Amino acid sequence: MKTQKTVLIVEDEKSLRDALTDTLRLKGFLPLEAKNGLEGVRIALSKHPDMILLDLIMPEMDGMTALKKIREDSWGAHAPVIILTNVSATSEKIVEDMVTHKPINYLIKSDWKIHDVVDKISGLLKI
Amino acid sequence: MDKKVVIPKFDDLILTLKVLAKDKEDVRRKLAVTAKKLALKAKQLAVTAADKESIRRELEITAKDKENVRRELEITARDKENVRQKLAVTAKKLALKAKQLAVTAADKESIRQKLTVTAKELKKSYETLEKKVSERTKDLEQARAKDVAILSSIADGLIVTDEKGRITFGNSVFEQLLGWRLDEAKGKLLTDLVPMFNSLGNKMTQTERLLTLSLTKGQSTPVTGAVYKYSRKDGSVFPAMISVSPVVIAGVAVGAVEVFRDVTKEEKIDKAKTEFVSLASHQLRTPLTMIGWYTEMILKGDVGELLPNQKKYLEEIYEGNKRMVDMVNTLLDVSRIELGTFKVEPKPTDIMALAQSVLDEQKPEIEEKKLVIDEDFGKGFPIFLTDAKLLRMVFQNLLSNAVKYTPPGGRIGFSISLDDEKILHIKVSDTGYGIPNNQKDQIFTKLFRADNVRSKDTTGTGLGLYIIKSIIENSGGKIRFESEENKGTAFYVTLPSASSSR
Repeated sequence: MKTQKTVLIVEDEKSLRDALTDTLRLKGFLPLEAKNGLEGVRIALSKHPDMILLDLIMPEMDGMTALKKIREDSWGAHAPVIILTNVSATSEKIVEDMVTHKPINYLIKSDWKIHDVVDKISGLLKI
Repeated sequence: MDKKVVIPKFDDLILTLKVLAKDKEDVRRKLAVTAKKLALKAKQLAVTAADKESIRRELEITAKDKENVRRELEITARDKENVRQKLAVTAKKLALKAKQLAVTAADKESIRQKLTVTAKELKKSYETLEKKVSERTKDLEQARAKDVAILSSIADGLIVTDEKGRITFGNSVFEQLLGWRLDEAKGKLLTDLVPMFNSLGNKMTQTERLLTLSLTKGQSTPVTGAVYKYSRKDGSVFPAMISVSPVVIAGVAVGAVEVFRDVTKEEKIDKAKTEFVSLASHQLRTPLTMIGWYTEMILKGDVGELLPNQKKYLEEIYEGNKRMVDMVNTLLDVSRIELGTFKVEPKPTDIMALAQSVLDEQKPEIEEKKLVIDEDFGKGFPIFLTDAKLLRMVFQNLLSNAVKYTPPGGRIGFSISLDDEKILHIKVSDTGYGIPNNQKDQIFTKLFRADNVRSKDTTGTGLGLYIIKSIIENSGGKIRFESEENKGTAFYVTLPSASSSR
């Protein structure tokens, strides 16, 4: 088996972070955790994960700012990112940022089964 | 001649004759002489007779004269009588005339008196009238002052125009809100002085203005929502709720009254409210996600096998959570509609696949209720340009309503067709409970649920039809329905292709 794929979970809500960590691990991923945007940027740029799950509303630094920071990095410019949030993408601002910073997906947590989220990651990483 | 003189002479003669007879002898002798004397005497007598005759004649003449005189007198008397009579008549006439004159005079007097009275009365009446007029004028002035005060004190902006639309009055709120002084505004055309903008931000033309409609068609516009914006003197705008009514006198519009209210504050409050709902809903999603994900993890057996009852109970929790998630999503849709952030994002869409997937979602309940589905998707479709997410919501709402409100064993029709003008026709029919006649006009109202289904189903929010009507109309389409209680309902939707609506 090849080296485990690493997935960085940037999520301030511990309970949800744990659920994702457990499920990803169960499915054979190597989860990395960050509890806000700032930590997320730091870990992303240092560990270069295969996939980043990014929440939007977080303390210290929000998800969109974190994504901007990641995109400024030469590695980060093309890093695969999935926005996983509970904020509907209704505001012009979010839509604009999405177009500019090109996350692969924009998923609403409450609408997605956790197994479906992980399956989606698997599909994207062609496992 | 005097009669007394004649009569004694005659008596003397007779006496002489008697003496003569006694002395016949003597006398016969003396007869000759006496005859002579007699002849003389006869002569004298003849003369006397002649005298007598003449006297008689004279007397006759005298008598005649007398007669004449008498006659004359008679005539004179008669004349006199005539004159007298005439005089009497004249006197009578005069008397009559005098009477008449007296009457006339009396009449004149009475008229004069009456005239005097009338003049007095007139003067009195005039004075009373004068008094009344001045009192009434005072009353009217007071009433007018009161009216003006009332109009001026109305908390909404008020503009009155004449039949040409020229401003004749504006209250103080009008002055405050629009920045125009009444004396500047008076006589100007309201439509020129105060430009108005519609919900799309376009300046409204003269003919589009509610005032014009009111003046030309005499129609009253009820209070509108804040879809209009008024332009102030300095060019800035504010949202306004407005109503216009014609002023009609004897069936003719002689002007119009425009009442408006600055709803900036209300709009802000409304927006804040909607934003709160949106935020609250997002916050609600996090705990719902926790419940959903962990329940799912257990149900999937991630942490070991479950006992049948444990699985059943967890499924109940999962379903309850799912319903809550749906409700929050619906609330968010409503707040998006009301915030105006419902964006239509048209993409080429496979309508049949979309319809099939929505139908598949409903399968479990359809099978449970043993409903028969009559699908009619024609011969399939070319790819249709529309917002798939929004069209999915339309399909979902109509189908889930049909499934929910049809008793077991009923039929549901689901047909979709595309006409030559690239308009999509959707029909969803059922043999369900139907919509009561008296509530048909409320069916698209937010939070409305018909009485006959409220008792049968407690999960509805009364938001579905409100949302899809907004979506459909936002996309340039239309929705209508036919329904009969306990027979069924059919919803008809027409939706133009996004390209043709742009």
